Amino acid sequence: MSFSDFLLMRNELLLVAAAVIILIADMSFSDENKRGLYNISLLTMIIITVLGFLPAPSGKLFGGMYITGDIYILMKNILNIATVIVLLQSRGWLEKPGQQKRMGEFILLLVSVLIGMSYMISSGHFIMFYLGMELATIPLAALAAYELNKSKSAEAGIKLILLAAFSSGILLFGTSLIYAAAGTLYFEGVMAILDSTAFTTLGLILFFAGLGFKISLVPFHLWTADVYEGAPTNVTSFLSVASKGAAVFILVIILNTVFKSLNDVWDPMVYALIIITITIGNLFALRQRNIKRFLAFSSIAQAGFIMLGVINDGGLGMATVIYFVLVYVFSNLAAFGVAAAIENETGKESIDDYNGFYRTNPRLSLVMMLAMFSLAGIPPFAGFFGKFFLFTAAAEKGYYILTLIAVLNTIISLYYYLLVIKAMFIDKNGAPIGYFKSDTAMQVSLVICILGIIVTGFTSGVFDYMVNLSQQFFLTLQ
Amino acid sequence: MDKEALILFFLSAIAIVGIGMLLSWLVAPKSKNIQKKEAYECGIPTVGSSYMQFRVGYYLFAIIFLIFDVETVFIFPWAVVMKSMGMTAFIEIIIFFGILGLGLLYAWKKNALRWD
Repeated sequence: MSFSDFLLMRNELLLVAAAVIILIADMSFSDENKRGLYNISLLTMIIITVLGFLPAPSGKLFGGMYITGDIYILMKNILNIATVIVLLQSRGWLEKPGQQKRMGEFILLLVSVLIGMSYMISSGHFIMFYLGMELATIPLAALAAYELNKSKSAEAGIKLILLAAFSSGILLFGTSLIYAAAGTLYFEGVMAILDSTAFTTLGLILFFAGLGFKISLVPFHLWTADVYEGAPTNVTSFLSVASKGAAVFILVIILNTVFKSLNDVWDPMVYALIIITITIGNLFALRQRNIKRFLAFSSIAQAGFIMLGVINDGGLGMATVIYFVLVYVFSNLAAFGVAAAIENETGKESIDDYNGFYRTNPRLSLVMMLAMFSLAGIPPFAGFFGKFFLFTAAAEKGYYILTLIAVLNTIISLYYYLLVIKAMFIDKNGAPIGYFKSDTAMQVSLVICILGIIVTGFTSGVFDYMVNLSQQFFLTLQ
Repeated sequence: MDKEALILFFLSAIAIVGIGMLLSWLVAPKSKNIQKKEAYECGIPTVGSSYMQFRVGYYLFAIIFLIFDVETVFIFPWAVVMKSMGMTAFIEIIIFFGILGLGLLYAWKKNALRWD
């Protein structure tokens, strides 16, 4: 192995370098004023995100333990973008007096999670995958428990770490069964050997359950609302977008490569999970009055929609999943951004407090409205195209009833997304939240989100590009 | 055919654990006395409950020691392949030590090594 081989790991190595830079910067700034640290971290992250779009070589490293290619780079770029937006949104919160001392920890943990997710996506070996997954989970638990003087934050941290340990155990048991059947842990080797027996089926089910915890599909969703509510809002937004997105990406890759021969086993499984996930996510979201719990259940329902793309085991399915995650990053981060801005300013989290918000803060309400329209899937915005392509992907496989159920659920979801907009624009309130001005970084992040919602919806090139890459990915498999 | 194998797998898993627990319960000599129930058995009667507060400093030191102890174990596999990999391995271990030292420096700078 020579040093030029390391270029294949460009994204991960740059992120590790960024972590080292942030660590050194954290030590060199005084505890009272960490503004410089924030600027350096943001700058390095933006540089890495931009560098990610340069053409990259594809290939394998460490005897097939690490795989990279255009589609992998695309997924990592989406996660990088999400991290930059979250970093922008957390500026006002991080620079609060008294909070600045620990700013370095927050940014370092965030970057560590990103490194873990990158390795997880690029893994070509089950142990490598597991390592990446743990690196993407344990710092997240620390982030969820970041607010030391809030007991809810500690509760979120302990719930996340316990559930993560539990799901890792299930996942490892599944992996061990697959190893018993195949005799190897390399994705390529397993793919060549695995056939549909009861042992491998059980292995697949356990493996899937372990990843289901990460994506918060319905039988494994119970941690979601509590953790989302307790964790700091900026961590919640990262958890709902990047953590979920990374898990979905690797799930699509693994189901279509390693478990390709078990297609007729996981197809009905995903079918049933989609129906209960969307339905239960929607029904619970109807009753929520806390904005973070509400967005948690909305994110469960969205996870169900994403699985519509997974059930289409072809280039179109993979492309729709990636496209939807990209759209979801922009729309969900816009919604969480507004929620974080309000919480940062007033400490209010209830949807009832949003009554009359339009009168005092028209611009933030408009951003929230666009985000809700996009999440609900109202036509001119990107969310509509995302859902439309997902339905197309499911229908292409002939799952018409499933598509119909999903469409009906979209209508239910429209109701509760519009409830937030109704609270802001129509409901009267004697003492609405007063006018406030969010900081520049937050404004920039919201502008990026809105541009993302509109641009990814209106330009067909984005989706075409993804379909192209996905089909190439499936061609190289054969 | 392989459904039976799966059932057999589960049954034998339950059986192995169950038989082990049953055997130890049957074979092990049983002694019942007051000392048995104590949190720490050393001949001298214990004072107070085992749920007491202690300095977080012990914990912090222990965990920092543990981290560096575990990290240095990675040098052994490196030492095995050092000769066959040559210069690449050497530069890699330098980077590894750099990051490790940086971690120690960070702990130092954050006053985690101060005992007062």
